[in-house]
Amino acid sequence: MRVPPKYAQVLAVALLGAATLLTLVVLVFIIVFVLTKGLPTVNAAFLFTVPRDMGRSGGILPTLIGTVLLPLLALVIALPLGVGTAVYLTEYTRESRVTRMLSFGADCLAGIPSIIFGLFGFIFFVVMLHMGWCLLAGGLTLAIMILPTIIRTSEEAIRAVPNAYREVSFSLGATRWETVLKVVLPNALPGIVTGIMLGIARCIGETAAVIFTAGSSLRMPTSVFDSVRTMSVHFYILAREGISSENAYGTAAVLVISVLAVNLVAYGLMHRFISRRTR
Amino acid sequence: MSDNQAKIVVRDFSVFHGKLQSLRSLTMSIPAHRILGIIGPSGSGKTTFLRALNRLNDLSPETRAEGQAVLDGEDIYHPDYDVVRLRKRVGMLFALPVALPLSIYENVVYGPRLSGVRDRRRLADLVERSLKDAFLWDEVKDRLQTSGMRLSGGQQQRLCLARVLAMEQLEVILLDEPCSGLDPISTAKIEEALTLLKAKYTIVLVTNNTKQAARVADDTAFFLMGELVEYGVTQRLFTIPRDARTSDYVTGRFG
Repeated sequence: MRVPPKYAQVLAVALLGAATLLTLVVLVFIIVFVLTKGLPTVNAAFLFTVPRDMGRSGGILPTLIGTVLLPLLALVIALPLGVGTAVYLTEYTRESRVTRMLSFGADCLAGIPSIIFGLFGFIFFVVMLHMGWCLLAGGLTLAIMILPTIIRTSEEAIRAVPNAYREVSFSLGATRWETVLKVVLPNALPGIVTGIMLGIARCIGETAAVIFTAGSSLRMPTSVFDSVRTMSVHFYILAREGISSENAYGTAAVLVISVLAVNLVAYGLMHRFISRRTR
Repeated sequence: MSDNQAKIVVRDFSVFHGKLQSLRSLTMSIPAHRILGIIGPSGSGKTTFLRALNRLNDLSPETRAEGQAVLDGEDIYHPDYDVVRLRKRVGMLFALPVALPLSIYENVVYGPRLSGVRDRRRLADLVERSLKDAFLWDEVKDRLQTSGMRLSGGQQQRLCLARVLAMEQLEVILLDEPCSGLDPISTAKIEEALTLLKAKYTIVLVTNNTKQAARVADDTAFFLMGELVEYGVTQRLFTIPRDARTSDYVTGRFG
């Protein structure tokens, strides 16, 4: 039976609308659920005091700090490597079998479950290099984990920069490096930032790879060789061990709000940067 | 067109795109302080020739040049020749105006900054002089910090011209159909700028518009299928062409 185009159109709009609505409902439900359960626990004392009794009482200050430091460290390591690789692949090599293989490899790496990276980090950094569970081992492991994402998004962003910009730059006597610095990277920045945001979000939400490499110490870290616990790990341990569901939800609420805040700030900065250059 | 003041000389100069030969052993000399118009139907090798003169063809890996192209007595395809310095001396204006996503001011000082000019006064002077030479100053002098992308197409092309003119080492200006997408007023302004600029520079103008060549070029070269068919003083070439193909083209019988 053929559906008349007029009804097919109505049906399509209805189905697509329903899909969108369903997605939205699920998202809103999760956020509202976490916030209503968690926000009552969250106050200044919760945020800025150290946990006591395994987190049964007290606040989450060390995990808050761990959640800031660990992704930051991972980013500091992964960003120059990732963007550097992307620039090399796009600007300094011609597309060939080797570059395609590298891109393909990066795509495969991006799909590997994080626990595998955790296992690798544990064996290589924690055990073989005698780092022990620490911020550095965790940062290095997460850096390797987000590297493929940063390489691929940066690569796409760099390829999307109009070739005409490069030609103009070269024709004005710029070297390739000057062109990369003055034309390619500034114009690829929005895409690169998207990759960074995806990477940070993955780091903040990560538990498996973190427990294996950065450990789960609740003490305040004093150097990169100290073990740290992130909010995700804290939530996982509090919930799994049944230590305190109030504090678990409180941590989850803070986690959700921080991810939201990071994204808002990034988009805000991005918007200002773009409009400064085109207005 | 005496040879002793030739700025650029090419001898047996060919360019290949992969297996395709786009320029067939060209030999010609381009005199200093004159405007050379290059006319010919599309696909005749005009743009390839122009892009060969500041080695922008280098950017496409499958393109290679053979023969000699000499600027002020130096072969620009010699392995030791400094391409970056060449492009600062031989500027290029493209068919499509491309303002970089920077302010008007930053667009103009792009070249000078690369050459290490840091002094604010000198940069500001360069901006004013170049924009005046490109007949754009009066339209933008109050908004130099706004983005160059907000200008109209005609204004953007004049901004691109100013950006080329701001290069202090500039000696030759190459223009690749610079007015093909522009309104008549912008076209007239660019043509007027060119006739004033030839006192300082050597100008090579590729154009699809035969009338434009007749208006502004001192000499005209007619390219056809990668070959130089005829080359001479503009007025002579248009009134008494020596080659039947030139005659057909300038009278509009084909192309």
